Amino acid sequence: MGSDFYQMSILPFAGIIIKICRAYTNSNEDFEDYYQEVCLQIWRSKDNFNDDASWSTWVYRISLNVCLTQLKRSKNGDKKLVSDTLPEEAIDDSKAFVSAEINQLYDAIKHLSEIDRAVILLYLEEKSYSDIADIIGSNTNNIGVRIKRIKDRLNKYIKQQGQEHD
Amino acid sequence: MTKPIETMWKDGFDKEANLSAPQVNDFYNRESQNIVDKLQNMFAMNIKAIIIGAGIMLIMMTLIGAPFLGLYICALLCPLVIIAKKELNKSVNLSKGQNSYDYLMSFDRWLKGSIETYSRYYRVFYPLFFIGMATQAIVSKAGGKIIALFVEKFPTEIFILGQPYYLIVAVTLLTLIISLSADALYRLDLNIVYGRQFKKLEQLITDMKELRT
Repeated sequence: MGSDFYQMSILPFAGIIIKICRAYTNSNEDFEDYYQEVCLQIWRSKDNFNDDASWSTWVYRISLNVCLTQLKRSKNGDKKLVSDTLPEEAIDDSKAFVSAEINQLYDAIKHLSEIDRAVILLYLEEKSYSDIADIIGSNTNNIGVRIKRIKDRLNKYIKQQGQEHD
Repeated sequence: MTKPIETMWKDGFDKEANLSAPQVNDFYNRESQNIVDKLQNMFAMNIKAIIIGAGIMLIMMTLIGAPFLGLYICALLCPLVIIAKKELNKSVNLSKGQNSYDYLMSFDRWLKGSIETYSRYYRVFYPLFFIGMATQAIVSKAGGKIIALFVEKFPTEIFILGQPYYLIVAVTLLTLIISLSADALYRLDLNIVYGRQFKKLEQLITDMKELRT
């Protein structure tokens, strides 16, 4: 990879990639693999970039698409939340961030299905409903309803975890 | 009272002033972990392996006195090379910069199409390969001796193409069995390697469709 491209076009957006990759991995080793894979795919796909979307939207798209189709087997298997009930066994929180609140939030996010993780990450990144729909490929109308449901589940989980720790 | 998740996110990342990105280097020598790339590599490797395999087969068969069988196997392998090349070219159009739904759908279409194309050819390839090997065995000196022993032990007056009928029946039955199980064998092999990923893809698409309706 040309280091200029990395410095100029990827590094300024590393925060986006880190936030997304962290939501799909449970260990530092996996995280680094996912991060590198996203960077590699951004580099490979750069010629397909067109001005219809911003570069940051492009980075979001590639990051999500790569994370959704990664091959690497998670050590924690598929303990994801596809229904409204939370699994009893929590996914190990890798304490990846300095902030305890962020770690707590990521722990909750990792219990969501892959698509719900994508939706909530984009929402928390203050993307508009139409941007989220555009990146995910959904209807704008459904995004609001889905976000409400995801937030309820996250709040319920965080509250439940808080009570267990008290 | 728990903070709203929006505040947790904002406040939390305000504290994470510098999100440290992992070291990145040597990308070109790094093996991709993405399933699309893995399958592309598999097809590319297939092309090389088939060409090398066909060459080796031709030399070996010529050396053991069966050059026609070598040529026959080469002819059977040629369509595989063409199929692998075609499938590889199709995958190039899969841009990861599409929205997630379109990306997953185009990936799924490509994957299913490729599997179907390969399995259709294997349904023909395996039985034809077997028929070639069986014919060579029958017309060889050693094969002729074994067949003569069989005819001595199980005499018959019914001969088809100069061979005892039960030999032809056995070859036909085996060809049928191979033909019927070729597709299953190919898919089993594929599922062992990529089964978990295929299931995940199915789940993602279902979830995505639900979000769209």
